[in-house]
Amino acid sequence: MDSSVHLDNVMMQFDNFVAVQKTDLKIESGEFFSFLGPSGCGKTTILNMISGFLDPTEGTVRIGGEDMRRVSANKRPTSMIFQNLALFPLMTVAENIEFGLEVRGIKKAERRKVSDRLLNLVALPECRDKRISDLSGGQKQRIAIARALAVEPRVLLLDEPLSALDLKLRQHMRTELKEIQRKTGITFIYITHDQGEALTMSDRVGVMSAGKLQQVADPVTLYRAPATPFAASFVGENNRIAGKVIAMDGKRTTLDCGVLGQLSGTSVHDLSVGESALLFIRPELLNRRTEMTENCFTAKIQELNFEGAYLMMEATPINTQSTIRAQLLSDVNIGDLATGNQVIFGFDAQDAIIMSGKSDV
Amino acid sequence: MFKQLSDRFGPMVAIGILLLMLLWLVMLVVLPQVLMIDYSLRPNLPPSQIGGPNDNYTLSNYVTLFNNQIHQTIFFKTIWSSVLVTVCTLIVCYPLAYYLAKVATPRQAALCVLLLIIPFWINEILRTFSWFIILSYRGPLNALLLGMGFIDRPIRFLSGDGGVIIGMVYAYILFMVFPLYNAIESLDGNQIKAARNLGSGWIRTHYRIIIPHAKPGIATGCIMVFMLSAGSYAVPALLGSPGSRWFTQIIYNWFFEGGDWNQGAAYAFILLLLCIGFIVLVMRLFKVGLGDIAR
Ligand SMILES: Nc1ncnc2c1ncn2[C@@H]1O[C@H](COP(=O)(O)OP(=O)(O)OP(=O)(O)O)[C@@H](O)[C@H]1O
Ligand SMILES: [Mg+2]
Repeated sequence: MDSSVHLDNVMMQFDNFVAVQKTDLKIESGEFFSFLGPSGCGKTTILNMISGFLDPTEGTVRIGGEDMRRVSANKRPTSMIFQNLALFPLMTVAENIEFGLEVRGIKKAERRKVSDRLLNLVALPECRDKRISDLSGGQKQRIAIARALAVEPRVLLLDEPLSALDLKLRQHMRTELKEIQRKTGITFIYITHDQGEALTMSDRVGVMSAGKLQQVADPVTLYRAPATPFAASFVGENNRIAGKVIAMDGKRTTLDCGVLGQLSGTSVHDLSVGESALLFIRPELLNRRTEMTENCFTAKIQELNFEGAYLMMEATPINTQSTIRAQLLSDVNIGDLATGNQVIFGFDAQDAIIMSGKSDV
Repeated sequence: MFKQLSDRFGPMVAIGILLLMLLWLVMLVVLPQVLMIDYSLRPNLPPSQIGGPNDNYTLSNYVTLFNNQIHQTIFFKTIWSSVLVTVCTLIVCYPLAYYLAKVATPRQAALCVLLLIIPFWINEILRTFSWFIILSYRGPLNALLLGMGFIDRPIRFLSGDGGVIIGMVYAYILFMVFPLYNAIESLDGNQIKAARNLGSGWIRTHYRIIIPHAKPGIATGCIMVFMLSAGSYAVPALLGSPGSRWFTQIIYNWFFEGGDWNQGAAYAFILLLLCIGFIVLVMRLFKVGLGDIAR
């Protein structure tokens, strides 16, 4: 069955405020797709449009190729797990799970079979007759998943469902969700502002900022080849260095970065000489040099944290106010590094990404 | 409570406050009621015999009702009509309260509430009397219905209980709307969305999600409206016809026309007992406790 979700030039405007800018996106059938973005960027609004709680100001939503414009929220083949779960507190666990089936007029015995199967799936068979208020956070979470799956949706919409859980439970639920998605083959559309969550679970991630979809890519591409300055700084850690283009050789671009000297990287799009540009280099791709050569700068260590295999440090390049973060292997560096030391950092031009943009600092 | 007060204001002030409260309760609530009970249990005697040998406690005032066919009919009609008023008010107010709580934007809601409240700045007699005009045989409502061709002869709204019921529904709307509004308002909007999302239509969403949540509010509203209509005097006096007397009018007559306070007090107590019975019944029916209602 085709359970793809297509957003055809969808736009959402509240009064004068554009919550979601024109978005064109095809989510494949059976895909685990995440929307990643900071609070207030319009993620929930997108889900509301897919589930039918909001009509897009412009554009159409199609599910399985079918135009959803005339289909009201209670007739759509979607199921949503709400940011606050929204379990029904006056019903028992089983009644919650069976509600969607009751609505469809399914007989009690049949409903019970389904809820038993789902309670087993989420590993909570003993909670059947409990009240919602008697469940722990993680249990509520799983009951919400069971309730959403009971109606056999083609698309499951998840609105930051793990945000209320503690770290350990969150990690556990991540694997469980992924597992459920694999077993059921349902299209998952997952919303999060946690980039770790998006990267570990998704087939593809859409990065959003201020109502605009910045980049859609698989997690590896997103991490290694961010397409916009926002994607580069929001996904994973990144050092951002501003400069002006002075030379280009194919993709290899050299910037004049003021006191940091000339630094080279790989540009993701065409640039012209003299243009302001940003260079992004990940902390783990910075390495330590013994002498100043190409693509190097000196910095003074401000903070040094030992994290087992790695040393994480914050350093200030000489004669600047900025900070950069670097991650070095601890075994070869632990002996002679200390706060206050000066270190020469360098990086490969292939590892650094250059795109046009001004530093907003 | 004493501890809280004395921690806050010191023991002397706390004792003072508590004494005042006690005084208020005793003087203004308990004492008058006890006096009325006392009245209702004594025969009606000329002043010279009060305290005399005939002034014994008796249930005869209560028995009167059971021997008077007309009073009984009016008593049960009052109950039945009050139930009707309560149900009608609930039916009118539920959609309104739902709209105010969940559909309207804050500005629309504020406007609506204002429109609801403004008529209540006018005093009850005038307000009720305006219904008398609206509903009268040659009044605007009949004119409108005639003009639009719905009826071909004016309706006598005011001859039966119809006028009284309409007047009361109107008079007590606020007592129903606000408890309902409060209850529905406290429902998380995502609950409604979740029900919709699981395929529930509007009717089911209301009776499975919203009404169960609003139950304490519905019970509060019903109790208030029932009590007020059962105890209403002005509306039946103004909008009622001779054939639609209210039990309160009989009580009034005992007190102020018959001059028989003892008999009046007994009737008033029967009405009070009935109201308490109704509260208990409603609470049973809706499976709500006192705590839920006080919320
Ligand atoms: N009904 C509405 N009317 C007006 N503005 C709205 C409405 N719903 C959302 N917005 C605005 O749209 C923007 C996006 O909201 P949305 O709920 O989609 O954010 P989000 O990305 O889900 O954020 P969070 O991570 O905090 O849940 C916000 O600025 C919000 O104030
Ligand atoms: Mg949200």
